[in-house]
This record gives sequence, structure tokens and C-alpha cells, in this order.
Amino acid sequence: MTLFDVVFSGNDTVCGLTEGAINDAIAKYGEDKAVALPDTAYSLPCFYAVTGTKITTLGEMKAGLETIKTLQGRNKRLGDVFNSGVATALEAEFIETLKYIDGAQPYEAPCSGHVSDAIIRELGVPLVTGDIPGVAVILGKAPTADDAVALVKSYQAQGILVTLVGDVIDQLMEKGYKTGANVRVIPLGKDVTAVVHVVSIAVRAALIFGNIEPGDAAGLMKYTFERVPAFVNALGALNPIVVAAGAGAIALGFPVVTNDVETAAAVNIKVPKSLIVQPDIEKFNATSLEARDIKIKITNIDIPVAFASAFEGEIIRKGDMQVEFDGSRVDCVELVQMKEMAEVEDHKIEVIGPDFDEMPVGSKQQIAYVVEVAGKNMQADFEPVFERKFHAYVNCIEGVMHTGQRDMIRVRISKDAYEAGFRAKHIGEVLYAQIKNEFDAVVDRCQVKIYTKPEDCTKIRHEVAIPTFDKRDERLASMTDEAVDVYYSCIMCQAFSPSHVCVVTPERLGLCGAVSWFDAKATNQLDPAGPCQVITKEKLIDERIGEYEDVNEAVRKFSQGALEDVSLYSIMEKPMTSCGCFECICGIEPFTNGVCIANREYVGGTPLGMTFNELASMTGGGVQTPGFMGHGKHFIASKKFMKAEGGVARIVWLPKDLKEQVRDNLNKTAKELYGIDNFVDMIADETITTDPEELVGYLTEKGHPALTMDPMM
Amino acid sequence: MSEFKLISIEEMEQATERLLETAAKVGADTWQVRVKNQTPHCKFGEQGICCRICTMGPCRITPKAPRGICGCDAHGIVARNFVRFTAGGGATHSDHGREICFELMAAKPEGPFKVNDPEKLIRIAKEWDVETEGKDIYDLAHELAELAAMEYGKVRGFQNWLKRAPEYTQKLWIEQEVAPRAVDREVSTCMHMTHMGNSSKPEALIRQALRMGMADGWGGSMTGTEFSDIMFGTPMPTDTTANLGVMKEDCVNIVMHGHDPSLSEFICDLCDSPEMLERAKSVGAKGIVVSGICCTGNEITMRKAVPMVGNFLQQENVVLTGACEAIVVDVQCIFPALGPLTKCFHTKFYTTSKICQQPMSEFIHFTTDNAMDVARQIVEESIDNFKNRKPDLVHIPQLTTKATVGYSVEAIVKALDGVTNSQVDVTGTTKPLLECVTSGVLRGAVALVGCNNPKIRPDYLHIELMKKLIANDIIIITTGCGAQAAARAGLMDKEAKNICGAGLKRVCELADIPPVLHMGSCVDISRMMVLAAELAKDSGLKISQLPVVGCAPEYMSEKAVSIGNYVVATGLETFLGVDPYVSGSSEVVELLTSGIRDWVEAAYHVEHDLDKLCEDMIACIEAKRDAIGI
Repeated sequence: MTLFDVVFSGNDTVCGLTEGAINDAIAKYGEDKAVALPDTAYSLPCFYAVTGTKITTLGEMKAGLETIKTLQGRNKRLGDVFNSGVATALEAEFIETLKYIDGAQPYEAPCSGHVSDAIIRELGVPLVTGDIPGVAVILGKAPTADDAVALVKSYQAQGILVTLVGDVIDQLMEKGYKTGANVRVIPLGKDVTAVVHVVSIAVRAALIFGNIEPGDAAGLMKYTFERVPAFVNALGALNPIVVAAGAGAIALGFPVVTNDVETAAAVNIKVPKSLIVQPDIEKFNATSLEARDIKIKITNIDIPVAFASAFEGEIIRKGDMQVEFDGSRVDCVELVQMKEMAEVEDHKIEVIGPDFDEMPVGSKQQIAYVVEVAGKNMQADFEPVFERKFHAYVNCIEGVMHTGQRDMIRVRISKDAYEAGFRAKHIGEVLYAQIKNEFDAVVDRCQVKIYTKPEDCTKIRHEVAIPTFDKRDERLASMTDEAVDVYYSCIMCQAFSPSHVCVVTPERLGLCGAVSWFDAKATNQLDPAGPCQVITKEKLIDERIGEYEDVNEAVRKFSQGALEDVSLYSIMEKPMTSCGCFECICGIEPFTNGVCIANREYVGGTPLGMTFNELASMTGGGVQTPGFMGHGKHFIASKKFMKAEGGVARIVWLPKDLKEQVRDNLNKTAKELYGIDNFVDMIADETITTDPEELVGYLTEKGHPALTMDPMM
Repeated sequence: MSEFKLISIEEMEQATERLLETAAKVGADTWQVRVKNQTPHCKFGEQGICCRICTMGPCRITPKAPRGICGCDAHGIVARNFVRFTAGGGATHSDHGREICFELMAAKPEGPFKVNDPEKLIRIAKEWDVETEGKDIYDLAHELAELAAMEYGKVRGFQNWLKRAPEYTQKLWIEQEVAPRAVDREVSTCMHMTHMGNSSKPEALIRQALRMGMADGWGGSMTGTEFSDIMFGTPMPTDTTANLGVMKEDCVNIVMHGHDPSLSEFICDLCDSPEMLERAKSVGAKGIVVSGICCTGNEITMRKAVPMVGNFLQQENVVLTGACEAIVVDVQCIFPALGPLTKCFHTKFYTTSKICQQPMSEFIHFTTDNAMDVARQIVEESIDNFKNRKPDLVHIPQLTTKATVGYSVEAIVKALDGVTNSQVDVTGTTKPLLECVTSGVLRGAVALVGCNNPKIRPDYLHIELMKKLIANDIIIITTGCGAQAAARAGLMDKEAKNICGAGLKRVCELADIPPVLHMGSCVDISRMMVLAAELAKDSGLKISQLPVVGCAPEYMSEKAVSIGNYVVATGLETFLGVDPYVSGSSEVVELLTSGIRDWVEAAYHVEHDLDKLCEDMIACIEAKRDAIGI
């Protein structure tokens, strides 16, 4: 016996029964006798949806059966199995309909039988919004009544709508289990044909919510396959009728999980993601959810303080702070790493090193939190995308403040949060819950490791994180603005800076330094309605400053009209705006005809007479400030850096540390653009001078190209 | 998806017709003309009954002259020719593999040859019982490359890769004397056995032909595949485009042709560099398009998503577009016609291997020492050649399809992992595929491979067979020019699920794969052997019991015959659409189509008619299903 033989024989049996029932009814009532299901505008909904024909009399039903028979092909091809399965369901609908003849009420509590349109409309909204994440069809008999209760309860707790067919109903009754549409547990009926009443729910959902035309069987199947998150749990021994009905379910896209190991083995019934054999009833829930790709949202994060976007902008002052992790002083890092499934234990949160209790109040500490994720659809390109969300996640914790990214983070924990019991592992809980919630499309398992020992943090930062960051940056370095067809907008930081919009291009990453073109692309793929949107670049206005009509349109839209036009490559003309979270700020230095750049970690003065913080305060907020611009570190060595004003040759001063970080790339760019060797040596730093006049002297001595360039103003 | 539409054979033929008009305009010679000149073909040659092995002849067998001067009959002559044909193919693939070994020996962390898949390197080292602990990855690579190269001349024992086969199969091969010894030794044995005055017994000769094929598929080719993966990365699914429309009129077009991935890898990398892009702009081009023909095309599309411009019989069409700045070739399947043809256009024709040197080409010898310099010279000269285009000759047929390619065995297993259920299944096996097959959702698989051959309307059998098979819930794995044909028609677009049977369609949807899986170049048929071995091991069946068959409907080369021999010897029934040169011997025909089944549990079928060929394959698959009760 093969699966084909079983399905075909089950279908033959049901077809015979249906034919007999119709003939009996005709003998009793005549062909003109009216038939209908109560409280529906869709006639016999399954038959109507598949064929486009309404059935009103026994005579029409008899003709309808002939139509169904044309579906019952017997070739050894899955198409015929699917069609026979559908035929079985349609025949079951006929049998069930005959029960309602003459306004009879064939079902009594707790069984509902046919479900009215009204209830479907009521269920429709939560199904569409995901409040009801799935529909379980439990059919047959569980090993024990307690098993039945436990299984139903497990689905109910997840908000899943449960429908029941067969002996399982008696098992629940035996235990006095409460059922009904209001508690989302609906016993349909004890005959196997009653299963059609849940098929009827799915079919009417397609007609009502999916706008599927009756008769468009292919469209119907596509709708239910892609959109109705239903699955079947077939408990107990499988008979051919159940298997035939199961084939119908699978045709509609609903996987079937069975615990009948023997039959399954005898007829080679296993089909990945469609017909799954699970001997252990306790694992039915997890098996079914995975088979239908249903992910349950975590609604309560187990932490002692609140978690809400209301806290995202919360500031924690020095005096209110219990402890601070400051990446600009000690080794801190946040990192997402993709792993193999076997390497990740879901929801494992480890704190390696001392917890907050052992840290002196008000002290600066190191921390490294590494989130390891695995998933069948996970890609390494998504790592930085998740990482960028950490800022928002951690910030949303009441009493916790987070700024920066990568190895330049600063996290403050307030005294109040600490008093409420907030500890290191809770950061892990938040990251876990949010990653699982937001990226359920790609993350199947997630674990978090939080390191607080200095040696661990140093090791992770320098040996794991920085090489990873470099690799990501390297990948980007090989891309040019011209080589791509689209740019992306990024409005991730509009919580802080409501009118700021970054335009992210391959050669100009977001000013936070964290969102590269690849990141933006991946963010857009993961969440097409999210913070990164595609910007076309078809309507060039001015190549010199990098101005496009499409880009302007996008900026206008995403800044809610606050911004009119921006250029991609100029600091003087329509420069891009700055939020508050830029890695570096660059400002015009009038004496030398060039610009000075300061990075966030640099605390000293600059030849502009201002520190980074002072410069930042006059540049941020999402307004255009010609002559000043926030940007990412990696933008410094870009060929597009201030391209309109002559490019990197304008850079006259950099903090020493930053200079070393960008040295190789900047030298390379200068060599390529101007043929200058060791350009970085011509640039001054704080060890040389922070005085504007001395700066001119130094640049003259070195023959810095900025001195002979056209005035910027 | 109503937008999805295959490109038809007729549309492709129209495109060719239009290009032939250009050929006529410039007075170029094309294969279509040469086929006419060569028809009818020599009947003695076709039947394999012409013997030129010594200078007493040539001898030709006729009813009046049933024996050659030495007394050899038609059976001996046909079998000897068949062995030599196989040796030509096996030597060719294997030498390609050897070249890859030498390149891996030259790999260094700073490049240009690097280890890109250290995991695979370590995995193979373990297979070969090489100690990996504490070894530098490059030291290990060099050690393994050395060992692999030694396989070509090993004094005793069989090919290392045989250990990948199920125990049963290994034993069968040894018993039947088809387990290959040193690769070079099998080539020598072929030549020695067929020398004047040696073997003339068909059984002995055909057995050696099978063993020669085995030395290719389970020796040289497998080395070529696996070590290319180590150096350039194991292919994973990636999206690309195919057909002539991938060439862009406003860009510099560089076309890579041949079989060895090495030079092309570097050329692709270089063409992606901003420096070369700038150079292209400076000559008025918008960018650079690198595309591939034949198996070099397959290699770089699998690893770098480089578009596939065409297969074997498209090589002249590419030049006829008038928009090809350079056609860069390495080895195998390069028409000597390209030299004279390119002279009718501005196209530069670069030969780069001492193995493939042709008149009227610019020869730049590519070696491990000068790899990047050669790549740079070719790319720069090609870019500079853009300005020499003759605009009135430029016509690129606007045919383009989407394709998802890159299905190495590893990628297939990963896709299958995607449909497992972690509550009940293990990952990292072929079991989900087996479940689809045993349940009947899929009826089976066809490994549809091989060349183009003007004896067949180009790509017609490839494409039409694939369409019919997928409509019957049979999944296709393909390589070589067959893979290119599928991609060019649109059969590697995931939307092609819509022309499949319900079973294959559902599998494509759940596993997110196209119904026709691109497994690579012709050496990559070794991947199919590994897949067959894994399926057998995971199912507990013999390879010959699997509902899987091989098919080469449009083959032409010696390599294809060598491949056919190892596919059959591995236990897979193999269907050919073109006659091998054996019809002159009833004994050899009987052996190949039936007798060898007693040795290796599979044999050849030859059928020219599309419908019949398709029916025969389906019947063979169904018979195998019935035999194991599924």
C-alpha cells in the first residue's frame, strides 16, 4: 500500500457514502427538496468556493457530486491526491448538509456543527492581526483524556483557536473542560465528516477577507496555503477516510501531525512539513507550530521594571546612576553572531562575571553582550541589522539608558532600576524577547551571553567583535555609489531627532557609523515597512554635489516636510542633516581652507576652539548647518567625502587616535584621487597643535593641498 | 504568477537567426554553415568501424570485408574506439582536476589563490585520514593538494574518493574490476589495451571503459570539484540572470568560456573594483559586464552569480552580437572557429592555457605566478577595446531570464534542513528528499546533463524534457550545457514551480527552490555521484534501487562518454539522445544497453524521440519504485 492507494480508497469510500446518502434523501424527499446550511450567505461554502456553483436542492446536489467525481483522478501523481482530498472534503460537506434538511438541528451542545458567518467575521479580525496566531484542528482520540486536556490547553494558552472532531470531544467532556467560541475551543462534531465545518471556516475566510472569487480553486488554495495558519493533529489510528481528508487539508496548505507510527511506516506516509509523524503527544504543540511556521509572540518580558517605547528617550543623569558601562573608556561591545542550530539553545541567558551587585555605585565598568542566533533563513547580513536595534531595545527598559553602537556603547543603569531588582541577565531577557519577536521570520533560536570580566570583554572586543566589524566594513568598501541602482533612507533615530533622515549609499554610511548600505538593504528586506526604505536614483539634478530629485522627494517625505533638498557629497550646499548620534563631526576651519574632524571618543579641544560635545550641540537636531556635518568614521576615507568641495584633501586636522584608525584607507584614497603619498602625515592632530595659527604653519611646512584649494566660503 | 513565462526554443532560434544576418554581413563562417558542409557524415565513423590504430590500414568493416588486416572484427574495433573515446574524456576532466591541485599547492593567505572553504578542507582531510589538529590551514591545504595530485599516479590501491560510496557499491566495484586505480594508469591502460595487437574482446574493453570513466567521476572530476570548492568556496544558492540579454550594449562585455574557474574568478573580482569601473567610464562605458559560457560560466555563476550568457552552441552568437569586447577562454569546448570569427569584429580572443592554444588568438599564459597580472592585462585591454566597437554591427537579442543557482550537495542538504521539523527530524541529511520520494510526492529525480550537438535542435531536448519531467513531479538536477539551457529558458526561476506537477510544486514552495537545480559544471557531475551515494546511505537502498536516472540528450564530447560510463557504473540507468559510435557492433551495443547491467546494475538506453525518451525515463523510474514497493 502506498499513500496514493490509501487516499484513493478513502476517497472512494466517502464518495460511495455520499452517493448513497443523496440517493436515500432523494428517495425520501424528491429531487426538488431544498438543502442549505444555516446562517451563511455562501451556500455550501466549500463546494461554492471550489466550483463557483451554489446548491439549493437535492437534485443539484446529485449533479454536484458528478462534478466532484471529475476531481477524483487516479494517476500516481500528487495532483490527484490533492484533488481527491478536496473531493473528500466536498463530499463530507454534502453529507453534513443533508443532516440539516428540513431545518433540523443535528448538533447539540457542546458540538457546534456548522459555524455561522457571524462567528467567522468575529474571528476574522484577530486572525488577520495575528491575535489568533493559528487554528488547530484536533481530530480522533488522544492516548488519555489528560493528554487531550493538556494539548488543548497548550494551544489555548498561546491564543490559538482550537477546533475538535471525534472522540477527543468526549475526552474533554469527561474532564469537564470548558469549551465554546468565547474561550476559543470549538467542538465541531463527533463524525469525521464534521471536520468540513472547520474547512468551511478557512474557505469562507478566503471569500470574505481574501476577496477570492468563487470558482477560483487555484486562488483559494494559494490563499489558504499562504494565509490561513491552520494545522491538523490527527490522533489515534489513521483510517483511509482520515488520510483522504488529511490530503485535502494538505492541499489547502495545512500540515497534518499524526501519532500513528505504525500506519505511517506501513504506507511511507512521511512528507516534510506536510505529514509529520510525532509519537510523543507532549511534543504535538511544538511540532505543529514549527510545521506551520507559527511563532508565538512573547508578550511579557520577565524583568522587574517596565519595558515600553515610552522609556526610549529617558535620560539618566550621573547622580541617578547605579553603574555605567562606557565603551569610550573601557572595553565594551554589543554583537550579534549567527551560529548553527545545534550551537544555540533557545532562551539560554548566561552572565559570565560579576553582576551589578558587585560593582561600586557610580563606577564605570566594562560589558560585552553577545547575542547568538540560529535559524533556517538566517543570513550573516542580518547580524548588523539586529545589532542596530539593540539601541532601541535597551533604551526602552525603564531606568536604563543606551547610546552608541558596536564597541562604542554607553549604557547607564539607574539606581531605581537596580533597587527594583534589575540585573545583567535582564538585559539578556530583553534582547532575547525582542529579537525573537521582531525577527521571527529568520530567528528560530536565540541565546545571550553577557560578559562583565575585564579580560573577557577585552578579548571579545578585540579578537571577535572588531574583526567582525572590519569584515563587514570591508565588504562595503568594495562597493561604489555608481554600482548600485538604489539608495536607502534610514530614520532609525527619529525617536531622538524627529526630522532627521539619513540617505545611506554604499560610499556614505549612516552618520551613526552603524548603518551601511548593506544593513539598510537587509533592514528593508526584513521589514519592508520599516525604518529603511528604497530610494531610487534615476533623476540626477547635479552630479557634483550628488543631488537627485528622487532623493529630495524621499527626504521631504520622511522628514515630514521639515527638509527640502539635500546633497550627498557637499558640506556647504544642502548638506545632509545630523541627528545626535553621529560618530564624528566635521567643521570648516576658515584659516586653512579646510575642515577639522572630531570623533565622539575624543575629549580634548580642536582648532575650531570647541570640543566634540560643543560642536555636537550646534550641529544636531536634524537641521541643515552648512559648514558642519555629522558622519560615520568610515566616511572619512570615502571618495565621496566632501566630493563637491574637493574631497579628503580638505581634511587638515584629526584627533590622533582617529587618524591612526583611518590612516591606511585615507592614504589610499588620497593616493588614488590626487596621487599624494602618505597624505595622513600632512594632517595635524592634538599632539601637534590645537591652535589655528600654528595649524596653518604646520600645514604650510607639510605642503598640505588644502591651502591652495579654492576658498570654501 | 501570470507574469512568469518561459523563453521558448523558437524565440531563441529567432535571436540566432538575427545574429546570423550579422554573420552574413561580415562574411563570417558559423557552425550552421559548417554542419552543412560536413553532412552527410562518414558512415564508417558513425558506426565506429573504422580502425586507424596502425599503419597497415586504415581498415573499414563491410559485409564483404568483415575483418581488418590484423583480423580484428567489428566488435573489437568498435570496442577499442569506444575505450579510446572514453580515455580522451577521462583524461581531459582529470587533467582539469590536476590543474586545480597545483593551484591549491600555490595558495597563500595573501592570495591570489586562497583557501575559501577551510571547513571543507578539514572535512576532506578527515575523510582521507590526514591529521588536522594543530595544523595551519595552508599547510594542510598544501598537504592535501599534494596527496590529491599523487592520486593520479598512485602505485597501488584505488581512488581515495571511492570511500564516499556505500559499502555495498564499493565492494561491487572491486569485484567487478571497475574500481579505478591511479587516474593516469587508467588512461595508460586504455591506450595500451587498444594498441595494435592487444585486446579485441568487447567484454574486456568495455569493462576498462567503465573503469576509465570511474577514474574520472570518482577521481579526477571529483578532485576538480572539491578542490575548486576549497579554493573558491562551496556554491550556495544565489540569484542571477541568463541568456544573451545579460550582455549590455552600454557596458564593456567580457565573456568567459571554457571549464577552469581560476582565471575567471580573478577577472570577476577585478571587474568589480572601483578602479576598473572608473577605467570603463573613461572609455564611455557605463560599467563592465562579465558573463560566462559553457562550464566556466557554470563555475562562476555558482560562486559569484555571474550571468550565464549561453552554452556551447552559443559561443559564436556571443561574438556575433558585435558587443563583445573580449572572449577569454581557458580549456575545453573552445571552437577553433572563434579565431577567424573574432577577426570580423573588434572582439579580442584570448587563449590562456598551454592546453588550449589556437591560431588567431592572443595567447597570454596564465600561471599561479602571474594570475593577477594576466587578469589585469586582459581586463584593461578589454575595457580599452570598447571604443573599437563597430556600432552598426551591434545587436544584443533582448532575451533574459532569472535563475537561482548554486546547488552544491551542501546547499541541497541545507535547503532540505529548512523543511525538517526540529521536534522529530535530524538535520544535515538527505532524508527529507527521500521522504518526498518514498511518499510519492516526488516520483524521482533525473540528472539531466551534457552538451549541445548540432545533430539535435539546440537545447530542444534539454528544455522540453525538463518541462515534461517536472510536470510529472520529477525533480531535475543538472550541470553543464544542460544547466545553461534550463537557465536560459527560465526553468531555474523559482516561479517555474507553476509549470510543475502539484507534488514538485509543493516541494519547491516549502523548500524555496526552483524545480531544476543547477549543480555546476561538467566536472560537477561528481557532485551528483556524491548526492546519489548520500541518498543510498540515508535510505539503506542500493544506488541502483533509487528512482533516479541519468540523461545526456544532446551530448557530443569524449568527456560526456566518460561521464556516461561512470554514471552507469555508479548504478544509474543512463539515457542518451545521440548515438555513440558503436552501432557497427551488435555485441558492443548489447553490452552497453544490457550486458553491463550484470556487472554494475545499470546500463545505457538510446532514444532520439523526445516523447519516447521522456516516457522511457518515467517508466524506468516507476519500475524502480514498484521494485521497492513505494
